[in-house]
Amino acid sequence: MSDLAAPRSAIVTGAAGWLGQNLVRALAPERDHVRALVLNDEEAPLVELAGANVEVVLGDVRDPTALDRLFDGDDGDGATVFHAGAVIHPAHRVRELFDVNVGGTQLVLDRARRAGAHRFVHVSSNSPFGLNRDPGDRFTEASAPDPYLAYGRSKFEAEALVRRAQDRGDLATVIVRPPWFYGPCQPERQTRWFRAVRRGRFPLVGDGRNRRSMVYTGNLVHGLLRAEVAAVAAGRAYWIADPEPYEMRTVLATVRAALEAEGLAVSGGQPRLPRLAGRVAERLDVVAQALGHYVQPAHVLGELKETIACDVSLARAELGYAPATTLYDGMRASIRWCLERGQAL
Amino acid sequence: MTRRETEFLVVGSGAGGATTAAVLAEAGRRVTVVEEGPWVDPDAEDAPEPFSLQEMAVKYRHHGSSAALGNPPVAYAEGRCVGGSTEINSGLWHRLPAEVAAAWRSDYAIDGFDQHQIDAWADRVESRLTVSRVPGAPPLSSALLERGAAKLGWRSVELPRVVAYDGGGRATKQTMARTLLPRAIVAGAHLEAACRVVRLLRRGDRVTGAVARRRRPDGTVEDLEIDAEHVVVCGGAIQTPALLQRSGIRHRIGRGLKLHPTIKIAARFPHPVDHEDVPIQRVTEFVPELAIGGSASRPGHVGLALADSGADIADVGAALADWERVFVYYASIRSDASGLVLAVPGLRSPLVTYRLTDGDLSRLARGLVLLGELLLAAGATELYPSVTGAEVVRRPEELASWWGSVDRSRTNLMTVHLTSTVGMGEDRDRTGADSYGRVWGVRNLTVNDASLLPDAPGVNPQATIMTIALRNAEHLLSRP
Repeated sequence: MSDLAAPRSAIVTGAAGWLGQNLVRALAPERDHVRALVLNDEEAPLVELAGANVEVVLGDVRDPTALDRLFDGDDGDGATVFHAGAVIHPAHRVRELFDVNVGGTQLVLDRARRAGAHRFVHVSSNSPFGLNRDPGDRFTEASAPDPYLAYGRSKFEAEALVRRAQDRGDLATVIVRPPWFYGPCQPERQTRWFRAVRRGRFPLVGDGRNRRSMVYTGNLVHGLLRAEVAAVAAGRAYWIADPEPYEMRTVLATVRAALEAEGLAVSGGQPRLPRLAGRVAERLDVVAQALGHYVQPAHVLGELKETIACDVSLARAELGYAPATTLYDGMRASIRWCLERGQAL
Repeated sequence: MTRRETEFLVVGSGAGGATTAAVLAEAGRRVTVVEEGPWVDPDAEDAPEPFSLQEMAVKYRHHGSSAALGNPPVAYAEGRCVGGSTEINSGLWHRLPAEVAAAWRSDYAIDGFDQHQIDAWADRVESRLTVSRVPGAPPLSSALLERGAAKLGWRSVELPRVVAYDGGGRATKQTMARTLLPRAIVAGAHLEAACRVVRLLRRGDRVTGAVARRRRPDGTVEDLEIDAEHVVVCGGAIQTPALLQRSGIRHRIGRGLKLHPTIKIAARFPHPVDHEDVPIQRVTEFVPELAIGGSASRPGHVGLALADSGADIADVGAALADWERVFVYYASIRSDASGLVLAVPGLRSPLVTYRLTDGDLSRLARGLVLLGELLLAAGATELYPSVTGAEVVRRPEELASWWGSVDRSRTNLMTVHLTSTVGMGEDRDRTGADSYGRVWGVRNLTVNDASLLPDAPGVNPQATIMTIALRNAEHLLSRP
């Protein structure tokens, strides 16, 4: 397995996001210069704290001039571009998924090419591949796409743009496909999730034996940094997740155990909902999205009953990916991060 | 009622109909071509100027103002004259991309559609027309596209056209009225202009001919019944399914309408730009989802494009007065949506609907922003997008405002590429006709026009339509 040298500069979009903050914190001590795109002034401090060598650029990935500023100067030349900017849960309208996830990717790819970037590491998702057909199945790099609703379609289209940029011949790209994250710097919705699990208010849909791949943010950052340098990775795509998928009932039991280990008493039992409830939510989600609306609870509940599992063998073999943090330790780290910030769980 | 009799009745005289008529007539078959629109001699002294509003009034259906209903609606234009849309289009010649052909072959189970076969048919079509490149330097309106693309590192190509150039560089577009229709007539075909087919006559699983209404030169009308052994319908993606539906043929007919929704920018430059012709440069960097090129920009088009921006009347007026420095460019997309053509009893024109998806609108917004970036790089100083009330952009930092402006209520869209309302292939659940255009369930009825393309090609469709039409017409000759 041969590695390229990591460039001294990195450019990160979506730097104030859940993954972006973890990535910038990992890059800052190792690189001379990190340029980080964040949406506005409020987000800037989240990234600036990572180090004096982190330069924040304010703007939107849809704004050509914001990207000109991000790639301005000598740093773009030979830097690695980590494209982590995307919308997962739009505020209201489905359209935003396409504008940011597809349109933004096109504009960032274009700048990266013009700047002569070392590599374009694209953060994709499991959702271009939808749901596993049967409970024992795992997605591999050979699985056929089957985008799940609008988010899945937007990430699928974005992957196609990345592949085309690679085929064009003047930009090396690597696509990384992470599933559901957990870990520090989590958004408010994940804190609400911990709170609901702690109080016995978060349901298992069906028997809870359906499996979900998840990825600890630290493991994912490790995967991205391997994608940056592994010589063989150019033009390829990899699943990056914790070593094995988890049964949903194990995920919830582990979170409850992690909460207790951090001194937070867990109340109530584990509520259950019939699979039918998940199906009703899924129908609601489909209808709402067809009308251009996004209803986050329906989307999340509709997906909970499903198996979304992937196989990380190729990343282990080709990238030297070696995820070290377990679900239990990762959840504890995430809970501690909330407590350190005074968030009530 | 006047009765006529023919072996092959070809309905429509555009790219599909003219190709069909020439092949059949030159093989010695008895052919009658009926065309709803008038004969307009393209070489007459008083012929309308190409791309002029006068031309629209004479050669276009509804004077060029049809629309697919939806939110937003999509305005479209169809030729309605002898030669069909080949008389009014830009004649840009773009072969069907190989990856699109491969997808059609497998998705719709099209027999006899391998790449080497398609290439051979396309070669033969091109040998029958004159497909050439502009001699010498391209016009400025074209060079500006190339200049902008080069500055941004985007790929662009100069497209060939179905145009013949004389020694002095004078261009003559090789329309059907100038090429294949005269060939068909010399070979014995009979051409009936200003003659609208009302419906096809059927008996059992066959058609026996058609009922038509002809407008005589003196303005009176004559009803015709034309007996035919075989009918080939080539009315284009809107009129063909409407005629089949009026004749009671409905299996997979009129569904799956595909078009290339197109958004425009009227760009003002600090120098005059040519306006006689359509740019031949095409930005291919974002193909197949997005294509960028130049539109007809006669003063009338410039005025319409400026009006579509809904900008301040003083700005629009100033730009209009300066029309010699304004040119109209476009971004067109491959759309995820599909539409419907429905013949409504009592109405002469079918109902056409098309509902763009959120992904389509986003792609149009992306196209507008990218086109804006290109035009500013090419030196434009003011950009008026075809989005009512959107910002008139003078600097790059204003471009991002367009993402929010392109919405369902304010976006003015048009298309000149309409396809896929019948579809060909062996998958009967997804097509209205077999791999060679024979309509399912009717033994002697063939469709041979843009309706057969199973999906939008992402490029100018005339080359694809004519290639498939030549292939299917020769196959028709070989059928028992």
